[in-house]
Order: sequence, then structure tokens, then C-alpha cells
Amino acid sequence: MDELEMKQNEEQKAEVVDTEVPLDKNLRLMSPTMMVVRRFFRSKLSIVGLVMVIALFLFSFVGPLFLSEIPTTKSVGGAEIEVFVPNNGKWGETELDASGKVTIGVPVPVTYEKDGVTYTVYQTLETEHQYNSLAAPSKDHLLGTDDQGYDVFVRLMYGGRISLIVSFLSVFLVTIFGIILGGIAGYYGGAVDTVIMRICDVLMCLPGIPIMLIISTALDSPQYGIPAEYRIYLLMAFLSLISWPGGARLVRGQILSLREQEFMVAAEAMGYSTSRKIFKHLIPNVMPQLIVSMTLSLGSMILYEATLSYLNMGVKAPYAAWGTMINIISTNQDILQNYPNVWVPAGVCIVIAVLGFNFVGDGLRDALDPKARR
Amino acid sequence: MAEKKNKNYLSGKEIKAIAKANAKRIKELEKYKNRKAEESEFLAEMKNPDNILEIEDLHTFFYTEQGVVKAVNGVSYDVPRHSVVGVVGESGCGKSVTSMSVMRLIQGPAGQIDSGSIRFQAKDYRRDSKGEPMRDENGELIVEEKIYDIAKMPINEIHRIRGKQVAMIFQEPMTSLNPVFTIGQQLDEVTMIHVPGATKEMAKQKSCEMLRLVGIIPENVYGHYPHELSGGMRQRVMIAMALAAEPRLIIADEPTTALDVTIQAQILDLLQDIKNKIDGSILLITHDLGVIAEMADYVVVMYAGKVIEKGTVFEIFQDPKHPYTIGLQKSKPTMTLDDSTELYNIPGNVPNPTNMPNQCYFKERCAMCIHKCSGDYPGMVQVSPTHFVSCHLYSEEA
Amino acid sequence: MSEEKVMNNVAESEVMYDDAALAAEYLEKRKKQHEEDFAKPYDPECILEVRHLRKCFPMKKTMTGKVTKELVAVDDVSFKLHAGETLGIVGESGCGKTTAGRAILKLHQPTGGQIIFNGKDITNYTPKQMREIRKEMQIIFQDPYSSLPPRDTVGGLLSEPVLVHKLVPKDQIRNYVLKLMDECGLRDYYFERYPHEFSGGQRQRICIARALSVNPKLVICDEPVSALDVSIQAQIINLLKKLQRERNMAYVFISHDLSVVKFISDKILVMYLGAVMEFGTKEDIFRNPMHPYTKALFSAVPNPDPTMKMDRIKLQGDIPSPANPPKGCRFHTRCPYAKEVCKHVTPEYKEYENGHFAACHLLNEEQ
Repeated sequence: MDELEMKQNEEQKAEVVDTEVPLDKNLRLMSPTMMVVRRFFRSKLSIVGLVMVIALFLFSFVGPLFLSEIPTTKSVGGAEIEVFVPNNGKWGETELDASGKVTIGVPVPVTYEKDGVTYTVYQTLETEHQYNSLAAPSKDHLLGTDDQGYDVFVRLMYGGRISLIVSFLSVFLVTIFGIILGGIAGYYGGAVDTVIMRICDVLMCLPGIPIMLIISTALDSPQYGIPAEYRIYLLMAFLSLISWPGGARLVRGQILSLREQEFMVAAEAMGYSTSRKIFKHLIPNVMPQLIVSMTLSLGSMILYEATLSYLNMGVKAPYAAWGTMINIISTNQDILQNYPNVWVPAGVCIVIAVLGFNFVGDGLRDALDPKARR
Repeated sequence: MAEKKNKNYLSGKEIKAIAKANAKRIKELEKYKNRKAEESEFLAEMKNPDNILEIEDLHTFFYTEQGVVKAVNGVSYDVPRHSVVGVVGESGCGKSVTSMSVMRLIQGPAGQIDSGSIRFQAKDYRRDSKGEPMRDENGELIVEEKIYDIAKMPINEIHRIRGKQVAMIFQEPMTSLNPVFTIGQQLDEVTMIHVPGATKEMAKQKSCEMLRLVGIIPENVYGHYPHELSGGMRQRVMIAMALAAEPRLIIADEPTTALDVTIQAQILDLLQDIKNKIDGSILLITHDLGVIAEMADYVVVMYAGKVIEKGTVFEIFQDPKHPYTIGLQKSKPTMTLDDSTELYNIPGNVPNPTNMPNQCYFKERCAMCIHKCSGDYPGMVQVSPTHFVSCHLYSEEA
Repeated sequence: MSEEKVMNNVAESEVMYDDAALAAEYLEKRKKQHEEDFAKPYDPECILEVRHLRKCFPMKKTMTGKVTKELVAVDDVSFKLHAGETLGIVGESGCGKTTAGRAILKLHQPTGGQIIFNGKDITNYTPKQMREIRKEMQIIFQDPYSSLPPRDTVGGLLSEPVLVHKLVPKDQIRNYVLKLMDECGLRDYYFERYPHEFSGGQRQRICIARALSVNPKLVICDEPVSALDVSIQAQIINLLKKLQRERNMAYVFISHDLSVVKFISDKILVMYLGAVMEFGTKEDIFRNPMHPYTKALFSAVPNPDPTMKMDRIKLQGDIPSPANPPKGCRFHTRCPYAKEVCKHVTPEYKEYENGHFAACHLLNEEQ
């Protein structure tokens, strides 16, 4: 019996592979991509976040293609006259509604005496404005116009473009800095690490807003001649320059822990070059955490941009940004009280953007980062 | 997409179907688990009054997104009084999940006890209709023998058993102690929780007694933090902790796997010693046949969520019946083995217990297959009063 | 507490030991011995020759970076290894066996000693020089889970070393890898799968395939089977043996499991707290274990036979921390036969039988 068995075993040993396959070939699991996608969509919040973000993108980038026509006639004193229509006859970011309007003031009682009888006469003041400013929401202007006569709804779209582009660019910059500097610090360690991390510490001590104020003032100086619409890009680039330490620390921490993993020792033993080890083996493993932190920081970058614009350091008239649009209330108390249609929508947009990015970021973290999984 | 061509992966439709079915079943089971129940609902009768634990037809499933993992699929075995039962099997065979089911420590909502019963002979207080412990005229608590069906117990009643009647020793002594409390605090806590009306002095006295029992001088560790102790010492402390509540059953889940051989020998000696000192049984779970041979009175061999062979330690080691048990023993290199030849090995891999066909799970790795093996899963065959095997080779018709 | 005990014993004992003088004498002697050995010519038949390997890790540093306290992980390890041979390194946790393995591959730069690989002294090779000979020496790790990069398919991670070292033309890489996978018992449809889909045994096969993809002459196996199940363990051991026969590789097989080491090795090196306790051929060590630690290790292995209850040599206490190894013989705190001399004098590591070395005072007395 035993010998017979041994013989059978001998045959098996000849091929270490088991010839029959059924069980593990039948076994079907989820593909890695599918797993991430499922984990992401399992959470309702991340779906909500994704819808919010997509809606904002469509609104800002596709929305302006469907703008309403500018009326080509204008009534002056009862007579219709032709007006010049720029921008293919659609409301644009910088188009003023020049159709004019007439405002009728509050009737003021004026009393006077004549022949012993007191008369009270209600006097109203009728003013004719060149621009149709502070118009109520209507078919022409879905959210009305602001104090200059710009269409609020249209500027909301264009403002969204700037806010989203600017925050994406700066997050991208921060990430690039973070990967390079954090990667170097984490991989080489020692003195290099110390120097980079101390620079991080110093940068983290810098107060962001005051520095931005200074830079903004400097940029205003005519000797640089920077066009108004590019100022915000420059500012955000500066912001990225001082806010990379967060990203760098994340990358460094990840790399420090990955470096100790045995597959990195194996890569070393394989004789791979340093750049291969960093870019082929380390960085792809940091990517999930990096994507999560990038998404989460998009929200804060939008807030930062809004803050800068609100403080009048960002985009300047006639260009729009969400922050700038809210800025109106700081100069005109009347608008704050009586015309919420001018500034509330911009605030709502900011809230939606920040919430949306944070929800998506949280969802991505659950999906991509197995350590944070429930 | 590359994924679409790949038939190795589940399609989106299948995943949705799985998720829907899982959600329904999990909801049912969670409701059952969290219900409020009268004590009479989970009282049971032992088949053999000499047993302290009887597991019968236990099914513990994990409802994952990739399908139902039948980690424990119809397991039955008994733990007699004053004995050591060794459960042996490879990783993923469900030996740990069975013991976790006994402790009701299966991680929900994915992991659920699907069906089956776990009958345990408990020593518990007599309770009134509200579930409060009753006292006699002298104010003493009335203790009586009760048989609980742990699988049917609502989860909020489980404290009657967990930690007090059944204690557990884990594999990882490095992580199973809380690093911010001293050994003394953690030991005292056990007594404070499980003995009603215990004072701090009583608890400390008890803790020191337990430490002495496991061969530690109490003064050396009582006030120390876990990180100040070595792995072997920590495992001793864990054993002391398990003993503190005077349990009737100790579940030792791979108690020596993380330890060095010389330390392992010490701990095994200690467990032997303790078994004789306490009034209880040990359920020893391990993958190491050597440890089982040295410690156990009865052996249960598990494979892919099923018991394939059980019997006394002599039956299993001297007259193994199942081809898997035979192969397992032969593939272990021993000190006395002739090493000029190759080591016997069971080909193939341990199967993942998802979507299993209804046939012998060991078939594709088996060297002694017969024609019948392509049929249904083999039932249990009794080869001696204590020896059972689940293999077609021994069924009556063969 | 143990120190107190030592002090008491010193007072009681008749012979007084001057620890400082003994240490100085020992260092002097050792230095001389090392210089003598380093000057010897390399053995041309050996694929690997290790002479007095030493590796220390800094534990405490001053502000200026000067090391004030160090942990001696590997202290004075020497052996010779021929092609097609296996050296087994046995020891408990903290004995420095893993560090020794990595120092041989120069994944840790050795603090002292010589490593002669294939007739060349590689001890002081630069990382760039090392990169070129990396393909001749490989390593397999204990944990098959953390040693495979998680975001690469099996095919990808096996082709990478072939691609980097330009072993075969690009269009043949796939066939080369498939052949290799077949050799290691991996099915061809695993090529597109990710490591996380596999069980430990299959992952360990992938690790072996990756190590062999560059046709090494020496493979360090760092506990390759201790994380695996028994039936899989046997498969992997057989696979390693088969591959060794086919490719005539040399193995350094590191393990804490004596029965596994016995099965695969030709020579065995027993380590305790960084130092070599005993070294010899497998036959010698198992026929006649000399050192009490080797004997204790042998008897501690549980025997899967319930009828055989062995008389154990029981070791008391725990393994001391390698940061503070005991003075004299490192093993004296747990040795059942320890004498006064063991506590003070480091025993000499010398040849007692032909090719059978040990370091123990008891052996000297017998002779």
C-alpha cells in the first residue's frame, strides 16, 4: 500500500503543477478596478459629491454655450432704437446690460400752504440710468443684474471657470512639488531629509493671507504690467509655492513606510536603478493617498481663491470670480439687505464646490486606501 | 476595456445580484441577532452530558461582495469535560472561525452565523423573569447548571458566557494587551467585571494568584506595562487573564505560533500543567501537528470549512484514514525523517471556500481518488466508536 | 536581577575574574586572528566565502552623529559555500540570521569582515558595482504578502528584472517568463492577475520565480516557508530542491525550524544572539550536536507522534535583548550546564571534529 502510494507521489512530483484545475479557475473574484469603483459607489455621500462636482463643471464650462440672446433694441423715451451687440449677441462675462432703466423713487410728501389751506403733494423722483443695474430676476437675466449692470447668472458661470481652473492648477502644482521634494526627502533620508523638512517647517509658519496681501499689492504696481485676468493665476502659483509642505510630508511619510516593505528590498536586490525604484515602485504606491489628499485640498483651494477674491486681491473687474461677486456686499450695504439675488448664488456655488470635493475625497479615500477601510 | 475580456472576474450584473441577495440575508440575520428573547428560547439539552461543548452542523458564512464565503460549512464536534481538543487544519479551513463563532466574535455585518447550534454547559446564576440574577434568603447568588445554545442567544445576552465561562487566548501576544494600561490593571479588570461585588483588593489578590499559576512572580510584572515584557511573558499574562474568571472552556487560538521554539516549549508545558489544575477543557487551535500530538486528547481535522476526520489523538496519528490527514502528516518534515528523498507533498492549493461544487473538496488534490469521488460530498463514516472520517473510500458500499 | 546574581556568585567563587582585562585580551586575540584570516587567499572552488562578518546598528548618537552605543546584530560569522550546496542558518528571533543574510547580499553594508562572492571581494563594492552583480545573487523573503509590489500583475513583475538586466530580447520576454512560471508551478493564466488574488503558497512561488528570473548563482532564502501551511511548505521545499538540482545554485537557507533546515541543508550554522554557536555538516550536527543550545533546540521541536514523549532539555527564561547581550558566553543565562567560567570568558570558536566547529567551554573540559 505504502509503496504504491509513493509511486503515485513520484508521478506527481515530476510536475509540481497540479494538472486538474477546476476549483481555482472556477473561482471568480472582482477585478481591482471594479473593487475600487464598487467601494466608491457604496457610499451615498460620494455619489452626491460626484453629482455636485459634475454639475458645477457642466454649469461653468458648458453652460456659457447656451446663453440667452441680448435684445438688439432698446427703448429710449418710448422709441425703440437699435443697439450695438457684442459677443455674437449673447450675454458674456464682461457685457453690460446697456438697455438702461428707469427707477422711480419713494414718493416724498411735500406740504405747502396756499390761501390758508394746507396742501400735501407726493413728489416722486424718476431717474433714468444708462445701465440696467440691479434688475430683478427676469427672463433676460435669470438672476438679475448687479450694481454695474452685469448679468449675475452669466458671471456665475464664468466665475466658476476661474475658480475651478485656478484651484485645479494650484493643487496640481502643490502635488508636483510634494512628490518631488517629499520623494527626495523620504527616499534619501539623512541630511537631505533634514534640510527639506526644515524648509517645510519654516514654510508652514508663514501666514498665508498677509503674504498674499503683500504680493498682491506688489503685483498691482504698474511697472510689472500684469493684466487683471492673469493676476489670480500668479497669486495662486505663489500660494502653491508656500503650501507644498502638506503634500511633501504626506509623500515622505508614505515613502518612509514603503521603503521598509520587503518588495522594496527585493527591488534593491534585483539591482534596479534608483529612478526606477522611485518612479516605478514607490510613487505608484503613494498615488492613492495622494489622489485622496488632492481631492480634499481642491475644496480648500477654492475657499482660498474665494477669500483672495473677496479681499479684492484676486480677479478684478470686469472679470468675475465667485469671491469677487460676493465682494460687492462689502461696498454696498443696500445690496446686502435688499438684493440677495446678486451675492447669495455665488456663496451657494462655493459651498457646493467645497462640499462636493470633500465628499468625493472621502469616498475616494474609502475606495482607494485600504488602511482607512472600515 | 481589458477587464471585459477577462473571464476571471465577475461582471457588474453578477456583483449587483450578489449584493442584493447578501443585503437581504444579512438584514434577517442581524434582526435575529439583535432581538430580545426570553431565556427559555436559548436553553437546550446536551446530547451527551459528559460534554462541555457540542457544536452541531454549524454554518458561519461571510457575505462578501464577491460571493458568500462558506468559512464554516456544517461543522460538528464535541468537547468533553477535562480534555484538550485539538483542531488542526491549514489557513482558511475555518478552524478559527468556528472558535470565534463560539465566542460570538464574528465581525458583522458581513460575517454571520447562518445556522446550526453551539450547546454549552454553563454555570450561571438563576435569573428572574427580567433576567436579573436571583439571590437566596442569605443574599447569596444562586448558581445552577444551565445549557445554553450560543448560536441562538441574542447578542446582548452573550456577556453571560463570553470571557467568564469561555475565555480566549490569542495568537499575537504583542497586540492583544492594551499598551496604555499596566498588566495589573488589565488583570484586575477581568475579575471586577465577572465577579459581582468584587473589591479592588480581591481583584488584586486574584490577579497575583493567577500570575503565580502561570509561573510568573507577580511583583515582577504587576505594575509593568506590556511593552516591557517579552513575547513569552506576554503570552503567560494572556493565559493568566483567561484564567482569572475561572472559565470552563479555554479557547487557545494558535497560542504558540508567534513564539520561538524554546519559548513555545515552555508555554506548552504551562498549558499542560494548567489543564490539570483547573476544572475545565481546552480547545486548542493550531496548524502545527507536533503541538497537537503533544497536547491534545481528541483531534478534529478541518479542510475548507468542513470536518473531514475526528478521533482520539492516537487514532488520528497512528491510524489516519482520510487522504488529507495522511498527506498532512507525511508532508511535515520531522527530525527523524530520512532526508535523502523528496518530501511528500499534497499538490495544489487550499481552495477558497466560495462557489464550491457539491463533491469532495479534496478531490483535486487527492492521490487516492476513486470513481465515487465525482459524486456528492461524502458523509461521515464511523470507523471506531470515537473515530469518524468523511471520505468515500470508507463508505459502506466501497 | 540577573546581574545581582552574577555579582553574588563572583563574591562566593574562589576564582576571581577581571572582566575588563579578559575583554581586552579577547579583543586583541580576535583582531590578530582576523588579520591573519583576511590575508589568506580566496578558495577558488567556493561560490561564497564569508570571513568574520560583523554588522552593527547604531543605537544612540550624539548631536554630531558620533555613535555612542551600538547593537551588534551579527558578530563574527564565517563559512564557505560551494555551488549547488545549501547552508542552513538556524536560530531564534533576534539571533541575527536575517541580518546576516542581508549583509551577505550587501543590502546592509557590513561593519567588518569579508564577503567573497565568485572569487571577488565584494565587501567594499559601490552601489553601482553591486547593481551589476545583483543578478547573480537573489533573495526570497518570509512574508509573501509584503514582498510583492501590490500594483503590478504577475507577468509585469516577473518581466521587469528580465527587461532591466536585458537578459533576453524584448519580443521573447513573454515566452521566457511563461517558461519560468511553468518551472515554478504557476499556471499561464496567472500572467494577467494581481498578486492579491493568490494564496500564500502561490505568492511564494511568484517570489521564487522572480528571484530565478535573473539566473542567480546564489539565493538567500529568508524563512521562505515559515508563513506557509504544512502541505504548501512541503511543495515549496521540494520546488526549491528541484530548482537547485536543475540550476546548480547555492542556497543560504535561513529558518527557525530545525526540521525544515535539516531537510534542505548540507551544512548548518546555529546562531544565538548574533554569534555562531555551532557549525558543521548536517550529518555531524545531527549525529553529534556539541553545543547545549543546539541540543536544546533539537529537543524543543514538538514531535508529531503522541506515543513519543521526549525528555526535553528545558531552557529557562527568555532570550536576552540583543542590545545587551550577556557577558562571557552569550548563552550562559539560559544554559542548564552553565559554570562560573561561562559568565566571564567568551568561549573560543574552534574546530573540534573535522569541519565541525563550536563555541563552548564545556567541550574544552571534556578533551
